[in-house]
Amino acid sequence: MEAATQEALKKLFESKLNKAMRLYLDTCAHCGLCVEACHVYQAMPETKYTPVGRAEVVRKLFKRYFKMQGKIAPWLGEVIELDDKSVNMAYEAAFSCTGCRRCVTVCPFGIDTQQVMNIAKLLLIGAEKQPQILAMLSDMSIAKGETWKETANDYIAALNNLAPEVEALAPTPPGRPAIPIDVENANVLYVGLSGKHSIVPAAAILNAASENWTISHFEAVNFAAWLGDGEKQRLIAKRIIMEAERLKVKEVAVVECGTATRVLKFMTGSHPFRIVSIVELIARYIEQGRIKVKPGTISGTLTYHDPCQLGRNGGVMEEPRYIIGKLTDKFVELTPNKEANWCCGGGGGLISLGEHEFRMKTGKVKVDQMRASKADTICTACENCHTQLTELNEHYGLGMKVESLTNLVAHALTGFGA
Amino acid sequence: MSDYTVAKTLDCKGLACPMPIVRLSQEIAKIKVGEVIEMFTTDPGSLADVPSWAKSTGNAVLENKQESGVIHFFVKRQK
Ligand code: SF4
Ligand code: SF4
Repeated sequence: MEAATQEALKKLFESKLNKAMRLYLDTCAHCGLCVEACHVYQAMPETKYTPVGRAEVVRKLFKRYFKMQGKIAPWLGEVIELDDKSVNMAYEAAFSCTGCRRCVTVCPFGIDTQQVMNIAKLLLIGAEKQPQILAMLSDMSIAKGETWKETANDYIAALNNLAPEVEALAPTPPGRPAIPIDVENANVLYVGLSGKHSIVPAAAILNAASENWTISHFEAVNFAAWLGDGEKQRLIAKRIIMEAERLKVKEVAVVECGTATRVLKFMTGSHPFRIVSIVELIARYIEQGRIKVKPGTISGTLTYHDPCQLGRNGGVMEEPRYIIGKLTDKFVELTPNKEANWCCGGGGGLISLGEHEFRMKTGKVKVDQMRASKADTICTACENCHTQLTELNEHYGLGMKVESLTNLVAHALTGFGA
Repeated sequence: MSDYTVAKTLDCKGLACPMPIVRLSQEIAKIKVGEVIEMFTTDPGSLADVPSWAKSTGNAVLENKQESGVIHFFVKRQK
C-alpha cells in the first residue's frame, strides 16, 4: 500500500473517532460474552467470526495509530499495520457481519460492533476495496434523485396499470386513483420499493383506510447504509425527505424494509412530519377501526420473524404481534424473539451481494428456530429477511410458506361498502 | 422501433429488491460493447431505476415498452 493511501486511510479512521467510538475501542474486556450471540459464529465457530474478533481488526489499527503505546512501541504487540493485508481482514470482518446488533445486547459495555464495522467499511471505501455491487446500487439511487422527473411519466403509467390488482384487494375511494402520486398536503407519503409486491398490498390497505395518501417516486432502500458510506446514505435518504417536504405531508410510511426504516426514522434529523414503518401504520388503522381484517385467511399455524433493524434496532415489536392477533389465533413465537431474536443471516447487504453459500450456512440457527416452531407459515416485515427466509426454506427443505405481513393483511381486508 | 439485434435476454419478472438491477449489471458485462440486452421486469420502479443505473454506469437505455403489466427494456452496453 502506498504511503499516501495509508495517510488517507488514517484520516478517514480519525474522522470516525468520536467519544462513543473511542469507548467501544478502548473498553472491551475480552470477556467473550458476545461470542455466542452471533449467528455467524454459531454456524462457523471461528474467532474471526465472533463480534470481538471482528472488532479486533479495527481495534488493533486503533492501537497502532491512535494510542501512545502503538505509536512509540508497536513491536509490543496487539497492533497491526494499515496495509493490504489488514484491509483484506477489514473486508472479511465487515462483510461477514450483518449488523444485526444482537451482540450489543449482551455486551456489558454496550460495544456496538456494527458501528465499529463502519470504520472497517470506511477504510475499504478509502482503499477502493468496497463491494462494487453496493457502490453501484447506491450510485443508481443517487442518480435517480437527479433524473426522476425525466422518467416520472413512465413510472406513473406503470402504477396506473396496477389499479386492477389493487382493486382486487380493496375498493379505491371515489374520485381518487388507486395509486395516487404527487398529492400535495397528503396525510401519508408511502415509500415502497421498485417491485409491485411492495406497492399493491400497501395501496389496498391505504385505500381501505380511506387514507389521503400519495406514493413516493423513490425506493426506500438505502444501499449506502450497507456500504458504510455516510455521505451517500445521506443523499439517498434526502431524496425522500425532500419529497415529503415538497408535498407537505404529515407522515412518511416506509415499506417493509428494516434498514430503510431505521435510516429514515433515526438518521435523518427532525422533520415537520412523522416517519413510521408501514407496520406501525397498519396497527394504528386496525386499532382505530379504519380497516377491518377477517381472521382465518391463513391456514395452519403462523410465526413471525422480527427483522433486526425493525425490531431490536427499531423498536417495532408489539405492532406486528397486535396485527397478527387480528389475523389468526394460531400464532406461535420463534424462540427467542423480539430483542433477542436471531438474525436470519440476510442483513448487512449480503442479499444484494449474492453470497448464497455463506448466507445458507449462517442462516442455520434461524432454520433451527423455524423448525422448532413447527409453524406452517412464517411472516416477516422486511424485504431482505423475506428473501433470506425464502431461500433458507428452499435450501433446507422446510416446506413452510414465507409471507410478508403487509401482504397477509391486504388479503384479509374486509368490511367494505354497505 | 425495437428493431434491435438482441445479444442477450434477461427475465427479471417478479424478482425481489434489488435483483433486477444486480442481474442487469452482471449480464451486461457478458455482452460486447455496442451490443444490446433486453430485459423484462414487473417492477414499476424499474422504469426509473434502469435509466438512472444506465446514467451512473455510462450505458444507454434505447427503449422501454409496457405491455400487460410487463416492462420491456432494450439497453445498450456502452462501456
Ligand atoms: S452485529 Fe450481528 S452479525 Fe455482526 S458481530 Fe454482532 S451478532 Fe454478529
Ligand atoms: S461482550 Fe463486549 S466486552 Fe466482552 S468481548 Fe464482547 S465486545 Fe468485548
